[in-house]
Amino acid sequence: MSNTQPAAVASERTHLKARKVSFAWEKTPLHWVPGDPFTTHTINVLHLLLPAGERWFIHVYRQILPYIHDDRLREDVIGFIGQEAVHSQAHDDVLPRLRELGIDPTPYTAQVDWLFEKLLGDRTLPPGRASTWWLMERVAMIAAIEHYTAFLGDWILNADALDRRGADPTMLDLLRWHGAEEVEHRSVAFDVFMHVDGGYRRRVRTWGTAFSALVFLWQRGVRFFMENDPTLLDGKASFKAFHTSGKQGTLPSTGAILRSVPTYLSRSYHPSQEGSTAQAVEYLTRSPAALAAEAETGAVAPAATATTKGA
Amino acid sequence: MALPRLGTVVLVSGAALLTRRALKRRIARSPLWPLPALPEPISGHSERRATAVRRLLVTGRTVIADGVVQLRLEGFGLPAWSPGAHLDLVLPSGLVRQYSLCGDPEDAGAYTVATRLVADGRGGSREVHEQLQEGQEVEVRGPRNRFPLAEAPAHLFVVGGIGITPVLPMLRSLAASGADWRLLYGGRSRASMPFLEEIEKLGADGDRVTVVAQDEAGHPDIAGAFTGLAPGTAVYCCGPEPLMDAVAAVLPEGCALHLERFSAASGDAAGAGSGPFEVELRRTGRTVPVAAGQSVLDAVRTAVPHVSYSCEQGFCGTCQQRVLEGEIDHRDDLLTEGERDDSMLICVSRCRGERLVLDL
Repeated sequence: MSNTQPAAVASERTHLKARKVSFAWEKTPLHWVPGDPFTTHTINVLHLLLPAGERWFIHVYRQILPYIHDDRLREDVIGFIGQEAVHSQAHDDVLPRLRELGIDPTPYTAQVDWLFEKLLGDRTLPPGRASTWWLMERVAMIAAIEHYTAFLGDWILNADALDRRGADPTMLDLLRWHGAEEVEHRSVAFDVFMHVDGGYRRRVRTWGTAFSALVFLWQRGVRFFMENDPTLLDGKASFKAFHTSGKQGTLPSTGAILRSVPTYLSRSYHPSQEGSTAQAVEYLTRSPAALAAEAETGAVAPAATATTKGA
Repeated sequence: MALPRLGTVVLVSGAALLTRRALKRRIARSPLWPLPALPEPISGHSERRATAVRRLLVTGRTVIADGVVQLRLEGFGLPAWSPGAHLDLVLPSGLVRQYSLCGDPEDAGAYTVATRLVADGRGGSREVHEQLQEGQEVEVRGPRNRFPLAEAPAHLFVVGGIGITPVLPMLRSLAASGADWRLLYGGRSRASMPFLEEIEKLGADGDRVTVVAQDEAGHPDIAGAFTGLAPGTAVYCCGPEPLMDAVAAVLPEGCALHLERFSAASGDAAGAGSGPFEVELRRTGRTVPVAAGQSVLDAVRTAVPHVSYSCEQGFCGTCQQRVLEGEIDHRDDLLTEGERDDSMLICVSRCRGERLVLDL
């Protein structure tokens, strides 16, 4: 069987740069999708997984840099790392707010920390084949996870149902700024994997690992939130509730999630075939957080260099 | 032939049902079974809080000297700070300006800042003076302290004008602890110098405070302030650039100089204090020169091409490196005070001396 080389859509490539965003959380309520704790908490699981997960991406990508012999890809990876670093910080900064609202996520996040720091961390392996194998395996896992972050990014940019339900604007901006940057850099992890390894069996295997781990962690996270939400007497999470929210458009639909599986496993798949960079860039031109970041580090930067006291 | 198959099916489904029941019971007892946890959790416990801003309410606006407005910004459960700390104000236009905290560190319900209107400035102070009125909200980041009180047998402060703001809480703290301190405080006129009355009261127990108003007595005698300075005295200077240069010029050997300049914000490669130095990469076994205006990152990349970095503006943290020796001039917006002790962001931070040793 011929192995079709996945084709990148050239027009979807964009210059990647980290944005120095900031968010004020003190007005965000516990149920930031009003009256819908299940949807709120399902999306909240992101704040539990991403800080540790994205730190791990960076940890792995620092080690992969010497394996990259393509200047354009190298430039992409450097931009990717910065964006992921700020994503990790931004989601981490939501956690103190959750504590203020009565849910201390530490029992859960300490496990996620263990998963990424220890289980998926660097292992004492003989240098050479074994350690290269472990590095490539992790690079492939990141590509699989990034398939889902891009999927979620594309979904959140189009999730008008959340606006209609009156979701908290700060939280929506965090999710959409993040989602837009995920769409912007959706090809990088896949390109890195194809550049350094690209084996189809590894792609399938690591997809299996990543997908099962995501499902496992996510359902556990939602249950954790529902059980520890101080305002819910008998908080339960169920697949039925997930499916219903998916139909209403406040969460991704079950069908779309299932359809994303063969997409990733197709031999001709390339992330640039899914989602729209133009839409992501358009959102970033009006995201309040991204605009503030622009004002601080972009246009005003030359002036800011000469700041004197009180000027 | 069909019977053994049926038996297998029954056995397997029986085993599956039993497993399912056991798992359900186990999970009901402890919902987060069975993953181990990291003993010292990281997520949600970082002190960086780099992307978090707070919205504070302006509850007080007082003109405390000619052209100087003091603002009281109230919030809830505000992070603690120590004398010398500053706050980033995100102004309505998106401009970000740093102002020293000049209130009481014990007050967790409000921050106090004072700003002077600079008529020919770049708009920051004008915006504060004209737009931040009582009842309005303003976003803040921080506080951070780049100008802390040092452990020293004696303290000498040389201050020009509004530069008094970070120094005032220091003086209060030193006066309360009975430490040995002196202050040389210069300004255009007494009417334009904030906090005069309180400072003169703080220094009333000895001849600690010298106030020099330009319209009465000309420029302060900086060299005079340094005569008879006890060895080991910590010297602090906050004020216009020429004042800081003058202090640096007369600083005696053995006294550490602590400068508060706000020009050290991101991207100021060519600004003040960015002279050349060298960086030793201990593990690589090479020493690279860093030219004036060149970043440490640029210099290091010539020796270590795969060193990681990204934003090059001191906020993503990717280029953080451990520092083994040398005095770091931190210019980032990210690292915590603890992290600053032995690491730096090499994309923006520099060296106060002539040599840094990195664990690279």
